[in-house]
Amino acid sequence: MPVDPISLEVFKNMFESVAEEMGVALQRTAYSPNIKERRDFSCAIFDPQGNMVAQAAHQPVHLGAMPASVEAALQEFPNALNAGDIVILNDPYLGGTHLPDITMVAPVYANHNGTKTLAGFVANRGHHADVGGMTPGSLPLSTELYQEGTIIPPIKLARRGRMNNEIIQLICRNSRTPDERKGDLAAQTAAIRVGELRMREVTERYGMSDTLEHMAALLDYTERVTRRAISKIPDGRYEVLDYMDDDGLTQELVPIAVAITVTGDEMSIDFTGTSPQRPGCINAPVSVTTSACLYVIRCLLDENAPANQGCLRPLHINAPRGSLVNPEPQRGVAAGNVETSQRITDVLFAALAQALPNVIPAASQGTMNNMIIGGHDPVRNKPFVYYETIAGGMGARPDKDGISGIHTHMTNTMNTPVEAMEFAFPIRLKRYAIRRGSGGDGKYKGGDGVIRDVEFLAPARVTLMSERRKLPPPGYHGGHHGETGENVMLKGGYEEIRLAGKELVDVEAGDVISVRTPGAGGWGAPEDEQSS
Amino acid sequence: MPNNPASDNTVQRRVVGIDVGGTFTDIAVLEDGKLTVHKLPSTPDDPSRGILQGVKETGVTSAEFVHGSTVATNALLEGKGARTALVTTMGFEDVLEIGRQARAELYNLEMDRAPALAPWELRFGLPERVDHTGTIIEDLTPEAIQTLIGMLEESGAEAVAVSFLFSFLNTAHEEMVRDALQKMKNPPYISISSRVLPEFREYERASTVVVNAYVGKVMSRYLGELEGPLGKGLRIMQSSGGSITARLASEEPVRTILSGPAGGVVGAFYSAMQAGYPDIITLDMGGTSTDVSLCPGQIKETTASNIGGYPIGVPMIDIHTVGAGGGSIARVDTGGALVVGPESAGADPGPACYGNGDQLTVTDANLFLGRLLPDRFLGGRITLDRERVEGLMDSLAAQINAQAQQAALGINRVVNSKMERAIRSISLERGYDPRLFTLVPFGGAGPMHACELAQELGIPRVLVPARPGILSALGVAIADIVKDYSRTVMLRGADLDRGRLDEEFHGMEGQAKEEMTGEGLSVDKMLTRRFLDVRYVGQSFELTIDYPSRNTKSDLNKIIGDSFYKAHLRRFGYADKKEPVEIVNLRLKLDVPMDKPQTVPQIIGPADPSGALIGEAEVVFQEGSIISPLYQREQLTCGNRVSGPALVIQMDCTTVLPPGWGGPVDPFGNLLLEPE
Repeated sequence: MPVDPISLEVFKNMFESVAEEMGVALQRTAYSPNIKERRDFSCAIFDPQGNMVAQAAHQPVHLGAMPASVEAALQEFPNALNAGDIVILNDPYLGGTHLPDITMVAPVYANHNGTKTLAGFVANRGHHADVGGMTPGSLPLSTELYQEGTIIPPIKLARRGRMNNEIIQLICRNSRTPDERKGDLAAQTAAIRVGELRMREVTERYGMSDTLEHMAALLDYTERVTRRAISKIPDGRYEVLDYMDDDGLTQELVPIAVAITVTGDEMSIDFTGTSPQRPGCINAPVSVTTSACLYVIRCLLDENAPANQGCLRPLHINAPRGSLVNPEPQRGVAAGNVETSQRITDVLFAALAQALPNVIPAASQGTMNNMIIGGHDPVRNKPFVYYETIAGGMGARPDKDGISGIHTHMTNTMNTPVEAMEFAFPIRLKRYAIRRGSGGDGKYKGGDGVIRDVEFLAPARVTLMSERRKLPPPGYHGGHHGETGENVMLKGGYEEIRLAGKELVDVEAGDVISVRTPGAGGWGAPEDEQSS
Repeated sequence: MPNNPASDNTVQRRVVGIDVGGTFTDIAVLEDGKLTVHKLPSTPDDPSRGILQGVKETGVTSAEFVHGSTVATNALLEGKGARTALVTTMGFEDVLEIGRQARAELYNLEMDRAPALAPWELRFGLPERVDHTGTIIEDLTPEAIQTLIGMLEESGAEAVAVSFLFSFLNTAHEEMVRDALQKMKNPPYISISSRVLPEFREYERASTVVVNAYVGKVMSRYLGELEGPLGKGLRIMQSSGGSITARLASEEPVRTILSGPAGGVVGAFYSAMQAGYPDIITLDMGGTSTDVSLCPGQIKETTASNIGGYPIGVPMIDIHTVGAGGGSIARVDTGGALVVGPESAGADPGPACYGNGDQLTVTDANLFLGRLLPDRFLGGRITLDRERVEGLMDSLAAQINAQAQQAALGINRVVNSKMERAIRSISLERGYDPRLFTLVPFGGAGPMHACELAQELGIPRVLVPARPGILSALGVAIADIVKDYSRTVMLRGADLDRGRLDEEFHGMEGQAKEEMTGEGLSVDKMLTRRFLDVRYVGQSFELTIDYPSRNTKSDLNKIIGDSFYKAHLRRFGYADKKEPVEIVNLRLKLDVPMDKPQTVPQIIGPADPSGALIGEAEVVFQEGSIISPLYQREQLTCGNRVSGPALVIQMDCTTVLPPGWGGPVDPFGNLLLEPE
């Protein structure tokens, strides 16, 4: 079947459904609440060159980072990836993002004129609640990568269909919650096998040539859609400077600068002027930076367009080596993926808002409010690690208010039900509410943040990794900024102690940690509200 | 799902099934095992008008009426429910709004979240707390309730939902609030979560009880109006595929949200079972969307539905909906791909061929391809405008550099690929191979696409029921009376003993029987069935298994484990027999079997279908344009064999047989199509 506008849509549906089916297999068979309940994972399909052709609508932060994993696998094993092999990795400097994100990549071989031919790759990534390192949850306030947990360079977990279980043993032994790891890794393997099977079925049904041609055509298609979207942006240079609160070690603001230059249907994104890499763990590997760029561009496209690497072709990204957005190996990166990615997104949208004032919303909460709790459960008599991210305000839009208490931009993980948490952990929720009035005023109001008060029923060690505790999410075009977030400990339930945005704290039974997430920016001056 | 053949001792009765759709109201009369049907236009402004008119036209005066109602659905989706308040544990008033904190669309900056049905100013928190063991750790005081009543009186709330944390383990506080509110001067419609959905996960539970309160008044009023003329025996179809008395439906209308689609699946499953095909995939293709459902020898239920952005936790038939139907609009996007839907031309302006709209739809493509005949649509009630479609098709074709015919075939292929994706997701993703199933299409457009879709999926057989257009009304008429009960218990290890479980079930059965007797239903005809929702300790997905019967001797823990591992293996492809399990919920199903039409199988006659031949027409298939015979469905008799290319026409439905597909009319009037 030659490529035509009809077959393009048919193949798009098919590749996306394969990626989705992998996701369902992963979620259903996974063991940890983080993957099952919060859906912190992604699955994608690649062509034989390693270009991402389709990603299921999972976590945006994995968008640009998945191709880096396939690329790393290809580089590590040039011409040596065989049918049935699975490469596993989490090295942020070799295809990973941060250590808890473990990725598996597998080649798909199918029959073509009697010989086994490479039809592409399937890959998935899951966020594991603990991979060792200095604090439970493996998102520590570190100063180098080695403190953050077990580093897995691209290695073969399976060779020609035979699993090397010793690798699993090694990973599990380095985790505080080995049983969970074992279950989740098994689920990732199962999802890879489902992906391989389905991709082989596609090639059997349509033939190898047609399959490969349509992969290429889908990349071209997304490129065309992207160029069309960029060409609607007025030509020009749009510069923005914003800051991260700090790197968790010192109190200095950390600048992130971007200059977007639009010329016709091409866009260059230049991060020159961004802070040099930091001693603290907020460095964002370049794959994370790329993810943020891809996400922002994808938001400008029709909802129907596939999220694939065709998006990247009209983009020229310059992330200076040694900077916060492209650090040198072995720098700490735990928060790069979860916090810095949000600020990169903020500056990209802020720059585009100059060009497209009536399209781009004001700043959203700009953080994921990571809370990681680890300890020993005296009632259930076992160690536990619990990780969550907390929603906040969504920026006001040019034609309507933002939304309150929702995850924005680079994450979309779900919360854990209060009752599920209390059944499982020595924790009691005291309050889970919208932080009224925290969204910025404006012609359209920014969404409010939330308040989550967690009481501990047993001693625990808590890591907080959050942003926008110093500088608030800005409003646009006269809209007011949202409230900054606050982290507070209520010692014994009463005595208020202010905590920093990034903090490691040991709590006793009866202590409460209250995370109050940022409200979002408003859009337009409030006095225009009447006339609207 | 029940599928009990009518027992000998059931009295012959007259049952009337009523299904109200957007376009038609269908009435199925079941008497002495015989089925007659009646169809008339719906009256969307007041559905009861069409119903009463239709019943009058059938000439039936006294009967048991069963109704598939969209009143609750429409009130929910159109935001026309009551002014609803929500009472929660203090500090958790906003759980309803935050939901699961995720957004429905990743890349849509303009996305909206469905507004909370109980708005902020109508959400009230009370000081009280129950912990995860069911122990009250903060008492609810009468003073707090009095304050609440004051606020409710001021707020003008017409309905009140109550959902406290862990109320499924200790119902005391919710009941205190209910009892106090009932004594108000003008008591609102009250709904408490420990009654509607006593299960864990506070957001889903609160959402369910709020939806219940929100649609409660509208539903009670509507059913009140119908009960007058139709009599007290009126029953309502529930989303789970069983019917329930109108009074109970007024109390728990949330159970009727997918009433109509449920009727279709029940009717399709019944037709296929009768014909000897218990493993089916249903395909209900309507104007704006298509519903698909997988029935592996039984109708499957889910307790994790989401309707219009609102989670609903009561059992519903597991139906997957995709935004592709006859009215889905075709266009070329900015990247040059031909896309179809999810935008729909709806009923107004409708497909271009209806004469008002300017956008091409799937229906228009079918008309262009000769698969719909312009002068035979809906029995000739509407004449379709082919010329209008030709002009539009030419301009669409020009945009993709193709002939008009290719463009029309393309629209068909694209919409089929969307439906294919939906079927893959309900089968392959859940561990079922579609190649082992029979596709049962119904609704106006299903039989037009079924054979091509089956071909793409490797489904070996398509069963087109005798009256695909009225299958929902049939399903509604034959539905058993079913009432579902559930309770979260969260038991594992040593806590898990038969004495404890039997005691819990016994309590639930007592409540259930009392309720059913109160409805005038005789308890001795009732079947009770017990189920357990089981999961690996600490996991968040439960699987439902049968509760082991009393006379098994082995260790209860082991039997439960074994059935769970088996179910897990089927669903997820693996099972770790060493991992401990826990029981999350107990489920009880009460079932009063109803008559089914005792259709006498027809005797197989000659294969020659020429008696039903009414002409021929040019129809376009992938293979090209072919002069194809037209058959009148009603005139085909048992044993007649039709072969594609051909169209089989009936008033409200056309079946398309592509070249290479064909088959006989079976003894029950179904058309059984297979690749020849």
